[in-house]
Amino acid sequence: MDALVSVESVSRLYPLDRGSVTALDQASLEIQAGEFLAITGPSGSGKSTLLNLIGCIDTPTSGRIVIAGVDVTSMTPGQASALRRERIGFVFQNFNLIPVLTASENVEYPLLLQKISEKERSQRVSEALASVGLANRARHRPDLLSGGERQRVAIARAIVHRPSLVLADEPTANLDTRTAMQLVDLMRELNRRLGVTFLFSTHDQRLLDHADRIVRLCDGRVVEDFSVQEGAHEQVSAASH
Amino acid sequence: MSKFLQLAIRNVFRNRRRSLMTLFIVAGGVAGLLLVGGFFSFMFWALRESTIHNGLGHLQVFNSAHFERDEVHALENGLSDYKSVASKIAGTPHVRGVAPRIEFYGMVSNGSKSSIFMGNAIDPVEERRMEFPSRVSAGKEFSSTSTDNNEALLGAGLARSMSVKPGDSLTVLAVTADGALNGIDIDVVGIVTTGFKEMDDRLLKVRLPAAQRLLQTDRVTNLVVGLDDTNNTEAVYQAITSGSALGPGLTVKQWLELAAYYRQVRLMFSGIFLFLGVIVFFMVVMSSANTLLMAMFERTREIGTMLAMGTPRSWLVRLFLLEAGFTGLLGAIAGVVTGSLIGVILNRAGLVLPPPPGNTSGLPLKVIHEPTLMLAASLLVILTLTLASVMPAIRGSRMKIVEALAHV
Repeated sequence: MDALVSVESVSRLYPLDRGSVTALDQASLEIQAGEFLAITGPSGSGKSTLLNLIGCIDTPTSGRIVIAGVDVTSMTPGQASALRRERIGFVFQNFNLIPVLTASENVEYPLLLQKISEKERSQRVSEALASVGLANRARHRPDLLSGGERQRVAIARAIVHRPSLVLADEPTANLDTRTAMQLVDLMRELNRRLGVTFLFSTHDQRLLDHADRIVRLCDGRVVEDFSVQEGAHEQVSAASH
Repeated sequence: MSKFLQLAIRNVFRNRRRSLMTLFIVAGGVAGLLLVGGFFSFMFWALRESTIHNGLGHLQVFNSAHFERDEVHALENGLSDYKSVASKIAGTPHVRGVAPRIEFYGMVSNGSKSSIFMGNAIDPVEERRMEFPSRVSAGKEFSSTSTDNNEALLGAGLARSMSVKPGDSLTVLAVTADGALNGIDIDVVGIVTTGFKEMDDRLLKVRLPAAQRLLQTDRVTNLVVGLDDTNNTEAVYQAITSGSALGPGLTVKQWLELAAYYRQVRLMFSGIFLFLGVIVFFMVVMSSANTLLMAMFERTREIGTMLAMGTPRSWLVRLFLLEAGFTGLLGAIAGVVTGSLIGVILNRAGLVLPPPPGNTSGLPLKVIHEPTLMLAASLLVILTLTLASVMPAIRGSRMKIVEALAHV
């Protein structure tokens, strides 16, 4: 079966005044549709960079990323924008809800970008909010929601346009442990129920236990890539560590 | 309402203090423009009407030779068959009256002192019909029933310099149409003012028959046409000049062609108003561009989020422009309301400004509420604010998503 995402020897270097810093170094990875995959590693290991590259909001210095059979590294900014709009959902560490919009309006936003009819938008927003347990908070603005509620709104926003891939960068970093666990359970449930592929970064060991598969990065390289359910390493990168 | 517009409107009110500050500046600019523009409009209107009612009239009919060659003798280029021309014009719609006039010059003497005068011979009945009254400061106007053709009105400055008061008699000397010197006695019945000092220092008004007797002619200098409304000038001009209604050898001039002073004043004040408009433009640009730029920086992460979700960059540009345009619209509404209220208060206050140079009466401080000016001032600030937001909007839309998302 073709992978939903294929990361092929991708490197990302950030230029500095003198020389450059390597955020990602020849990383390779394949993600199948429907996976619930965690990327972990210490700070500065390249987790966010990898998510940014897969999310088409950054471009690799070298290598290739293929999403659903399309080489996204050769896309124009407009094409990348359209791909994100239609096939990718984002969940951010700081929730990043639009403060002047209510919970339901925030969830509706990705649908507005796709020019979906108002009736369908309304139905999908209701479903998405219900699926994250916030149907009764639809009219609340973000400043009236708790951190956990905000992140659940962000998840509803990420899934409302039925993307094939949801990227969550440290989604539980600003939440207490209990809320964080509830959030991961929610993502897991949505992954199973909707079949949406979830790719999230974390360095919280307790959250990693919920993942199907864990990819460990260190110094920009994939050093471990294993399936948790099988309890055994399927593939280990040729990292020097 | 479109969700996009809704988002723009809510963003305007996101930082209320800053938005209020911007609105205050924009509204102040609009109100200022409306008040100054409204006052200028009143000034133009007052000057126009006083110019017309001081004797210029809405239209004047001349012998074409008046504009082709100088006169060797008095009234050489005057109108001879003026009564039939006047009766033809009098039947035209909107014409209130047609008055013959003679302009002449000469010496006036009280026996001990002589002075040069600028004579204006009129038909008081026609002048009254046109509602061109003399502003009498002492004595009385020409009597409409009197048959005393020697009645005269004297300009206030001339009367003062010759120590003349109503009831006094004077001798007027002028060169006749044949080139001879002639004189008549006149009885001063009133002292008048035109509002212009130079005119008041030289003005002598007599009845038409007295001037014709003095100048030994049956001609007049021109015919002055008074209308019911100045706005009908062009229509009446077209009516009386089309075809051959008036006959050959006559030239009709509209008041604006003859009112050089009015044109100069209007040109000067229009320039001043334009300058004020430029100041307001820069005031709004300078104050709002900084505010809009700050608003953009404050929303850096939000912009990054919107871009990450696939928002087209053109949408963001439109969003910023819409926000600025909406702020401009609110400011314009507030400015129009404020300016109009202040205008009403000023109009009711009855304030009078000191007389302008060369004038003898003060200028009332009144403001005309001009819908076109309100629209123009509103459009100016809306466009200005929208233009001022172009740079922040483009900067915002060109942000690198990753950097914008990492913004603290």
